[in-house]
Amino acid sequence: MKKFILVTLAIFPVAAAFAQEATPVSTSSPSPAVSNAMPATAADVEALRQQVQSLTETVKTLQQQVKDQQAVLEKANITSESGLPQNPEPSPIAAAENSPAASAPQRFPTEDTSVVSSTTAPAVSGSPAPGSFPTADTSVVTSTPETISSTGAGASLTQPITIAGGGKNYMNISFDGLFALAYSSARDLDHIEVGDHDPQQRGFNARNIELALDGAVDPYFEGFANIVFKLDNDNATEVEVEEAFMQTTSLPFNLQLKGGQFFAAFGRINPTHPHTWDFADDPLVHGRLLGPDGLRGVGAQISWTLPTPWYSQLIFAAQNGRGSTGFSFRNPGDNGIFFGRRTTDREARGLQDFVWIPRWENSVDLSPTQVVLAGVSGAFGSNETGANARTQIYGADLFYKWKSAHAEGGFPFVKWQTEAMYRRFEAGRGIDESFPVAETFHDWGMYSQVLWGFKKGWVAGIRGDYLHMQDSHFTDDLDRQSRSRMSANLTWYPTEFSKIRLQYNHDFLEENFFLAGRDVDSVFLQFEFILGAHGAHKF
Amino acid sequence: MERTNFEKIVMKKFTFIFATLFAAFILPAHAKLNVVATLPDFGSLAREIGGDKVNVTVLAKATEDPHFVDARPSFVVSLRNADVLIDGGAELELGWLPPLLQNARNPRAEIGKPGRVQASQGIRLMNVPANVTRAAGDVHALGNPHFMSDPIIAKAVAQHIAQAFAALDPANAGSYEANYKKFEATINAKLQEWGAALLPFKGQNVVAYHDSWPYFAHRFGLNIAIFLEPKPGIPPSPSHLTEVIAQIKAQHVKAIIVEPFHDRRIAEKVASATGAKVVEFSQFPGGLPGTDSYVKLIDILVSRLAAALK
Repeated sequence: MKKFILVTLAIFPVAAAFAQEATPVSTSSPSPAVSNAMPATAADVEALRQQVQSLTETVKTLQQQVKDQQAVLEKANITSESGLPQNPEPSPIAAAENSPAASAPQRFPTEDTSVVSSTTAPAVSGSPAPGSFPTADTSVVTSTPETISSTGAGASLTQPITIAGGGKNYMNISFDGLFALAYSSARDLDHIEVGDHDPQQRGFNARNIELALDGAVDPYFEGFANIVFKLDNDNATEVEVEEAFMQTTSLPFNLQLKGGQFFAAFGRINPTHPHTWDFADDPLVHGRLLGPDGLRGVGAQISWTLPTPWYSQLIFAAQNGRGSTGFSFRNPGDNGIFFGRRTTDREARGLQDFVWIPRWENSVDLSPTQVVLAGVSGAFGSNETGANARTQIYGADLFYKWKSAHAEGGFPFVKWQTEAMYRRFEAGRGIDESFPVAETFHDWGMYSQVLWGFKKGWVAGIRGDYLHMQDSHFTDDLDRQSRSRMSANLTWYPTEFSKIRLQYNHDFLEENFFLAGRDVDSVFLQFEFILGAHGAHKF
Repeated sequence: MERTNFEKIVMKKFTFIFATLFAAFILPAHAKLNVVATLPDFGSLAREIGGDKVNVTVLAKATEDPHFVDARPSFVVSLRNADVLIDGGAELELGWLPPLLQNARNPRAEIGKPGRVQASQGIRLMNVPANVTRAAGDVHALGNPHFMSDPIIAKAVAQHIAQAFAALDPANAGSYEANYKKFEATINAKLQEWGAALLPFKGQNVVAYHDSWPYFAHRFGLNIAIFLEPKPGIPPSPSHLTEVIAQIKAQHVKAIIVEPFHDRRIAEKVASATGAKVVEFSQFPGGLPGTDSYVKLIDILVSRLAAALK
């Protein structure tokens, strides 16, 4: 019997060699069967057909022999004893490709069509010679078709799957609800908390309920949208188109263009949505210098990752900077008053009325577990308090993260984030020169926070805030009060789709010419849920 | 007007600087294939196939949870320079790869390009959920993505990688092909060893911390269906552990599989309450000492498990 196997094995390579020989024979005729350039003669076709037939028969015979051998072996209780998945029938092509050694009877299967469904990719493109033997084509036809996913989420043979985030949909949809139960010793929590999505009243707050959409537009663009529904203190619903922009995906030279309504890439807090923040409220310096809604607006941006061995990116944006989302810029203010001045609220005169926002960020890995990211940003434009009043804001940010090499679910980790901002604000005399003086405010502030993820799902945080607003004997704006704040919190993330956070704030507001100093204590219980395929967050 | 000497010197310097920059940024790109693998198992196969013809960069660490890897900016640099990107394609890296790719802007690594190898292509994934709900925990819509612990699947992935390398670097196609054949032969031979070592334990129940081992279990005829996590990604709760301990006692389970990033103390507690042994496993070469290649990893997994089940 062994001899018989050996004979079988000996025939295999011969047959294979014969099959390969056949190819040049057929193509050497002046009329390749595949090409229509010159009709093949009937004799040629007939000859080919006979060759194919004889080969097929040879293979079939060999297959039958192999099967017989297997049956005999099974009877001898060699294969069946293992009880493991049976050696599948080799397809004619697979059999021809197998080396003699591989097709020897084995105790343990080394192929399994139940898991590897077919050849994994189209044949190597090195040899797609026209006029190759037709049998080779059938393997290409029966092999996996290339599946191309428009969402970039992944392609697999286990389709069809048609749920959100399953890689078969045109758009990821997610819904996020962020709520807070607040208590404060101050009755004017809306003046204590500086962000528009922060808790603004004692009791329950629902100020950041957002619908996020994203997906590939076509091979050239991606689209993102963030629509925020906000319940104000009287429970009336307000809608904000927080972001809606498209960006390129395939520009050369590591360039990317972005256009639409978007957050300015200024520092670390500004470009992110409140639900990703590590605290229940906005840092003071961000809310007061860039505005309660952050600096965002309609505009365009270009970014370039430099061809350096470390991560280095230059970002440059221009936005209208108009309205309350361009807070320190072309902002008419509440009831047409900003910092006490009656604002001009004019049309853009030229390029000088845009907000120009450059940023440069760099990152290096200090070690396999430690990363540092540092950036400098600027925002330059005009404001509405005078005909030629200008605003300049500068920012610097530093982010450090350590994460264990044995992290589970991303824990444990320590991250430290610090941002400092300085604003030079030329406050003019208002639209009708009615304000007694023109002033230039030099305001600055910073915050620093440390978050410690000490156990899977658990994060403890501490934050210090400081804000210096230049003293003025003329401007009694409530927001121009220097202040500092200490915050501590504890967050539990049951999964990455929900969180419960308890935070304590102690605020100290400094006395100025118009306002008395005071201390405020606040406690927030924040809770959040996320539904759907929420886009992954950047580092 | 003739140029002054100064101008000539400046011109020369500019030419020199430009040429140097050109050489620094353009030329090395053609020396070797730059391969980026999201996970260490793909990286190990890429090294087997590529040998000294490729540079392999692996993003995730072998000892960390592959579901939650930080999308750190240095990965953007690696991905930007990649000629080949190998990822799982089964949403295991869903939480961190998309923003990296968005930032890397590398057209060579786009899905559908010859430089993008999605390992799960051509693989039939197990446990594809009929309904996707997060009430079931961290369930992957495309099926269980921890497929590389089946050596037969690893062979298919290796072949896929070899084909991609050959397509992008035809000059070395022969070498990739030969390395693949070698890998295939090694796996085929090793499968006999591994199969024989685990054959005595066919059908035995084994407990795992997380559901990462259905492919390994299927290959070697084991039954890994009890988990310390009540649901995938949800930390073990006391009530669930009580249940697991009862099951372990009733079914005489001898081994509890944990991975380097799992809380080993929880497994130890269950082990001491039941008499089962804690077996440290890893999905990734490098996750355990002495496992710098895929074959060595499976070697160690098989021998550790066989020792524990004895």
